[in-house]
Amino acid sequence: MDQDTLNQIITAAIAVVAVPAALLGYIYGGEWVIEHLPDGVQKWIRPYFWALPAVGFATVFMVYPMLRTIVFSFRNSADTEWMNGLSCNGQPCSIFQNYIYFFTFPDTLTSLRNSVLWLIFYTLFAVGLGLIIAILVDRVHYESLAKIAIFLPVPISAVAASIIWKFMFDYQPTGTTQTGTLNAVIGLVGHDPVAWLVNSTTNNAALIFVGIWTATGFCMVIISASLKSISSEVLEAARMDGANEFQIVRLIVTPLLWPTITVVGTTMIINALKTFDIVYVLTNGAYNTDVIATQMFRQLADAKYGRAAAVGVVLFVAIVPLMLVNIRRFQQQEEQR
Amino acid sequence: MANLYGRLGLKALALGLGTVFLVACQGSSSSSGSPQGSTEVTVWTAWGGNELTAFQNVLKPFEQKTGIKVHVTTNRDSTTQIANGIAAGTDLPDIAPATTDPIQLKDWVSKGVIKPVETALGSGFDTYVSNTYPGLVKPPSGSTGDDPFIGIIGGKHYYLMIKYQIKGLFWYNKKVFTDPAPKTWTDLLAIDPTKYGAQKLFCAGVESGAASGWPASDDLDNIIMRQSGPDVYTKWINGQQKWTSTEIKQGYQALLQMTSGNNVYGGPNYVLSTNFAKAGDPLFKPAGNFKAGCLFLEQATFQPSFFTQSFPDLKAGTDFDFFGHPSMGNSANDGNYNGFYDNYAMYNDTPAARQLMAWMVDPQAQQIWASSGVSLSSNKNTTYTDPVFKNAATVAASGTNMLITAGDYMPTDMRNAYWKSLLDATNNPSNLDSILKHLDQVQSAAYQAS
Repeated sequence: MDQDTLNQIITAAIAVVAVPAALLGYIYGGEWVIEHLPDGVQKWIRPYFWALPAVGFATVFMVYPMLRTIVFSFRNSADTEWMNGLSCNGQPCSIFQNYIYFFTFPDTLTSLRNSVLWLIFYTLFAVGLGLIIAILVDRVHYESLAKIAIFLPVPISAVAASIIWKFMFDYQPTGTTQTGTLNAVIGLVGHDPVAWLVNSTTNNAALIFVGIWTATGFCMVIISASLKSISSEVLEAARMDGANEFQIVRLIVTPLLWPTITVVGTTMIINALKTFDIVYVLTNGAYNTDVIATQMFRQLADAKYGRAAAVGVVLFVAIVPLMLVNIRRFQQQEEQR
Repeated sequence: MANLYGRLGLKALALGLGTVFLVACQGSSSSSGSPQGSTEVTVWTAWGGNELTAFQNVLKPFEQKTGIKVHVTTNRDSTTQIANGIAAGTDLPDIAPATTDPIQLKDWVSKGVIKPVETALGSGFDTYVSNTYPGLVKPPSGSTGDDPFIGIIGGKHYYLMIKYQIKGLFWYNKKVFTDPAPKTWTDLLAIDPTKYGAQKLFCAGVESGAASGWPASDDLDNIIMRQSGPDVYTKWINGQQKWTSTEIKQGYQALLQMTSGNNVYGGPNYVLSTNFAKAGDPLFKPAGNFKAGCLFLEQATFQPSFFTQSFPDLKAGTDFDFFGHPSMGNSANDGNYNGFYDNYAMYNDTPAARQLMAWMVDPQAQQIWASSGVSLSSNKNTTYTDPVFKNAATVAASGTNMLITAGDYMPTDMRNAYWKSLLDATNNPSNLDSILKHLDQVQSAAYQAS
């Protein structure tokens, strides 16, 4: 046994004994101390004592990295200088230089535009189709079969889904056998093949479509579950009063589903802003398909940590309000119970 | 309360065990040190498949002859790991590829992390230099002194050149194209493919996942080094040559002649949608009334493996062959050619490491590479049975200036923008000026420390 292996075993042994011992020591020792304190102090201090480890972990692993990222976004990539200590074309840089880069450089602006496209169309279609399908399949006897079909893409990883669609979007020269399903289909009606992922009028739509394909099933399942909880008496009563099915959906079902739709919608918006894998696998941002997350990854891979941090902060700031909406919604639902 | 403590105790224990697991996993990644300096040597390699087999065949006689045990670890991310190891002060392998980033290389040299080949080979160094293709051990003619692109820093060599590939070769189907190779770019473009029963002059495919565009960058490198020479080429890599300059622009324009709808099989959309490994397929596939989709494909010496992947029955030399890049019309630059090498460097100066370094460039070991049919050896005197590499060896021997692949030595953001620009230019050739202007913008940011 060489020295390295021995060292590892010693480290492991220390960890086996020392880490649980420290935790047990914290629990028993801490309680012992608290029990010997006056009653009033005991009551006050105990919750803090028990919450401290959880808060500590969250601080170390979440709050600290977040603050560090914010600090980093104002510094150079080597983390040795504040941005305003550097020179930009002979002038001192602004402290916001990394943000200025993000909001002025053509590549990053394209990614910003595309993320907005994703946010609008991906969310709208995923939630909208999810809602429509949930309502429609609720009225047929083969509901579970239809739902399985729509839900199937959800468990497929985004990378695998992208590869599947890479084959679907495949392009061969006009006049030869089209191996891509989509081009084979449009060939049947006599249309020339389209280079879906290269052509800049179709590529963003194609990518967003793949996103919708993977997300609609998720939206449908959540909305459908909430649909089942609408009491059939309410619907019966409406029918008795002479409402037609369209009016029922528009005036009763949809408003009752609204809280669920908001939650699903905000989740989809967050997904849209975080979109990475589909774009990375299918085009890697070529032909103006970059989104914010692929842009952030590229800055990281290029060792431009300051710029990557700035992109991360922008993304974070965009997502926080949505998370607040979501949390508030959950709290309202809790209160209603 | 006691019950609660008991349950919490269990949870604490579970957490502790989890930590142990983490610690144990972390510990195991840092054991790569040099065991005994005279009887064992640790080597990292990024090779796999046939290349790894060939390398193992190189090591076998060494182990038998010397009794030294060689521990080979496959590591495809060795530069990053070694950089981390240097920063953390942990053990490094005895022998591993050195970084090809010139700035990082200078840093490693100044820290004494890698040892000069002169030290490793001792009195054998001069023989090594005279046996090796000059492009791999001497800076391009005209320039003297250091050349970090081939590992020469402070007058010392830091890369031990192991093997070699050549880029910018024009592959063709021997049953379709039967005439002598064109001498100049103009001659090449003047060839009428239909005369040979091929639909178009060129085939191309530049899709390569996240690295899409690189195959076209190889083609452009080969054009620019022959149009404008090694000085412009090196300045361009180093960020001192504007992308909007005439030299670079005319390179793009020449490249776009290849991928124009008139000259390329399937048109630009097909080029952009096709993976580089499949790009050569139309050379051997009928297209409509034509015997073949195209006449030529520009690619490096590794191309035959892609041909045989798609068409297992094809034989090198009888079914396909290649000719070297035609002149771009400036005879002073005709000796420039594009190659890429695999290097090894010595990190720990031990007797066993020195012996292995010497063995790897021994003519006998180099002949094993030459006979493996996967690559050229770095030794110019080896003999080849594979007709493709036999031909490639002639190209390498006739060239005077070996120039490295430009994108590989640019800062990563510059390189990525370069690759992407080729996709955009192929897609919309009329946007060339704005594409080049954008590259200037990237250049001015990429070469500054930020």
